[in-house]
Amino acid sequence: MENKWEMLGSSNEDREKIWSKNRTFAGDVWFRFRHKPTSIAGLVIIVLLMLFALLGPMFTDYSYSTQNLEVVNIPPRMKVYETPDGSGYLYVTQALKVVQVSRDGIMGNQLKKVREEADSSMTIFDCSGTEVALYYGAKPYVIADPQTRVIYPSAHVWNKSYVLGTDSLGRDILTRLMYGTRVSLMVAFVAAAVNMIIGILFGGISGYAGGMVDTVMMRIVDIISTIPLTLYVILIMVFLESGLQSIIIALGTVYWVDMARVVRGQVLSLKQQEFVMAARTIGSSTRTILLQHLIPNAMGSILVTVTMLIPSAIFMEAFLGYLGIGLKPPLASLGTMCNDATENLRSCPHQMFIPALVICLIMFAFNFVGDGLRDALDPKLKK
Amino acid sequence: MSEQNILEVKDLTKHFKAGKKQIVHAVDGISFTLQRGKTLGLVGESGCGKSTCARTIIRMYDPTAGQIVLDGTDITAMKQKELKPYRKKMQMIFQDPYASLNARMTVRDIIAEPLMAHNLVKSKEEANDLVYPMLERVGLTKEHANRYAHEFSGGQRQRVGIARALILEPQLVICDEPISALDVSIQAQVINLLKDFQEEKGLSYLFIAHDLSMVRYVSDDVGVMYLGQLVEMSEADEIYRNPLHPYTKGLLGSVPIANPKLARQKEKSSIEGDIPSPINPPSGCRFHTRCPYAVPECSRVKPELVDVGGGHKVACHLHK
Ligand SMILES: Nc1ncnc2c1ncn2[C@@H]1O[C@H](COP(=O)(O)OP(=O)(O)OP(=O)(O)O)[C@@H](O)[C@H]1O
Ligand code: SF4
Ligand SMILES: [Mg+2]
Repeated sequence: MENKWEMLGSSNEDREKIWSKNRTFAGDVWFRFRHKPTSIAGLVIIVLLMLFALLGPMFTDYSYSTQNLEVVNIPPRMKVYETPDGSGYLYVTQALKVVQVSRDGIMGNQLKKVREEADSSMTIFDCSGTEVALYYGAKPYVIADPQTRVIYPSAHVWNKSYVLGTDSLGRDILTRLMYGTRVSLMVAFVAAAVNMIIGILFGGISGYAGGMVDTVMMRIVDIISTIPLTLYVILIMVFLESGLQSIIIALGTVYWVDMARVVRGQVLSLKQQEFVMAARTIGSSTRTILLQHLIPNAMGSILVTVTMLIPSAIFMEAFLGYLGIGLKPPLASLGTMCNDATENLRSCPHQMFIPALVICLIMFAFNFVGDGLRDALDPKLKK
Repeated sequence: MSEQNILEVKDLTKHFKAGKKQIVHAVDGISFTLQRGKTLGLVGESGCGKSTCARTIIRMYDPTAGQIVLDGTDITAMKQKELKPYRKKMQMIFQDPYASLNARMTVRDIIAEPLMAHNLVKSKEEANDLVYPMLERVGLTKEHANRYAHEFSGGQRQRVGIARALILEPQLVICDEPISALDVSIQAQVINLLKDFQEEKGLSYLFIAHDLSMVRYVSDDVGVMYLGQLVEMSEADEIYRNPLHPYTKGLLGSVPIANPKLARQKEKSSIEGDIPSPINPPSGCRFHTRCPYAVPECSRVKPELVDVGGGHKVACHLHK
């Protein structure tokens, strides 16, 4: 009787060779994922942003709360005037002070004020022995020779001390950006994880139990989802003290509705499938059926939903920050940075532009990754 | 109740709700017994309730009425928890080898799942000692153990399904069209594998199919189902030699016959029309809407399954 299988037996080794790769499901997904440029780009951006947020603060000299009121609202690219001896540059601050800037853009000390010549709208400063005049009679303010009234040659240099400039309190924007990104990512990940757990439990139970339980649980979800989430989050934030925990609680308890729906749908369709039926006839416990059969098979959609949920959590956090009900100052988040920047949007648009750009980057990156994951998890596209 | 019978089914009925008031009469009063070590073939058109019958017997569905006696124990009303020890005695091989294996599990884990579920092994290593010989036994190798089900062909998957059903050494195996999704060349291999196991372990099979020639080859007895009811039941060769029910005759008329002489001799009868909906099954004899021999009585009185001699049972007013 064993001979019946000899025929197959001999070809088995050949087949082993034909199957060159023994790819697991995850391996398969990764293979498809990395062949899509946008998803890889998204992943790289996320990794870079995480490095920036986590390791960046080690390399800056400032903290997110260090204020220096003498150098407020300095742009990343400064208009400067040459010193009389031509050894460096001078920069005029908003507060009508003059700061030394080295040739390669490092900011130095303030010049000492010598006297005020109000009738000719000039302030005279002492620049290493020579007198220079700040003329404030007309904008833009210029630096000139007080005797000949000749304006010193001007130039533009990149700011090396404050690469992205400073904000209205003289805090380094780059440093705050690092902390802000860190907060945003953390809020997003924690909120996503909380949503995922609540969503999987709620949706899983609802779908698996079915019947009345399912109907009641899904009506609850329907009711929650008819409340505008933004309003709900704002209400929670008003009741709780503002701060990181409150944001996480607010976001974590809101966005699970979508997740619950997705998981329930998956479980409902999966539990009708024969392999789940088979598990029942085998005598496997409900626990095994849920953890080994249903959840792993629903994991694809769960992952996609989570990656799509992260950008909305980030946006929501930024939005709350922008409304001023997010973090307490001086803590920075991308949203509060945008909020701080609105005051002098006209004179310093970069203060708004930079954190907004980072928000966009994060959202793009997660959306790309989510898209890529969705495609990679679709076995019909298998190559 | 005879010690010989591994399975006794009495008046088994399974109705599904469809919509508000409608009821699907998927299985309606089926009775049969299956002896230890024997194979009972169940044939019928698609949608006649074969799978539902199998799934109700294995208690995937709760029966609407009737009785299921497995190895002397009535399991009809048992809760899933009470049922667990009896599940070891009764396993199922599924129709679709793709849908019946979890694609996220390795072959080893799939085959070991019943062992784990019944706490028969304590560790993975211990499970491997049982899984590897079983793999070889069904014509796969140890190397296949770490692969995922989605990497296999249909025939190989069905072998995995067989291994999973047999690893608990059950006494009764319900095969729900185990070969209909396979290539013809592989069908024979799988059937032979099942027969070998039967000889070796004294298994009993409830073998569901719509391919009559295959059923004749594997079965000792054959039951013919129509619209949720048994219409004829007999020893396998007898039913082929001497079909009595018009529906059975029609079914046999659609079996391809190798010998053209025999084919010509054979009474030419094929069934016309579609199978009626099980939601509103015809009154009286359910076959009367399509039966070429129907008499007025047929639409009024339901014919009972009666023994017409030699254990040949038929439910038709023409044979009493
Ligand atoms: N879960 C269910 N709910 C409602 N109706 C069902 C359900 N399962 C099966 N049915 C209905 O019961 C009838 C019998 O179905 P069943 O699957 O038992 O047929 P079958 O004989 O196995 O057919 P096939 O040969 O195609 O597998 C069909 O009309 C089907 O639509
Ligand atoms: S009982 Fe009547 S309708 Fe039914 S099979 Fe027999 S002859 Fe045909
Ligand atoms: Mg079926």
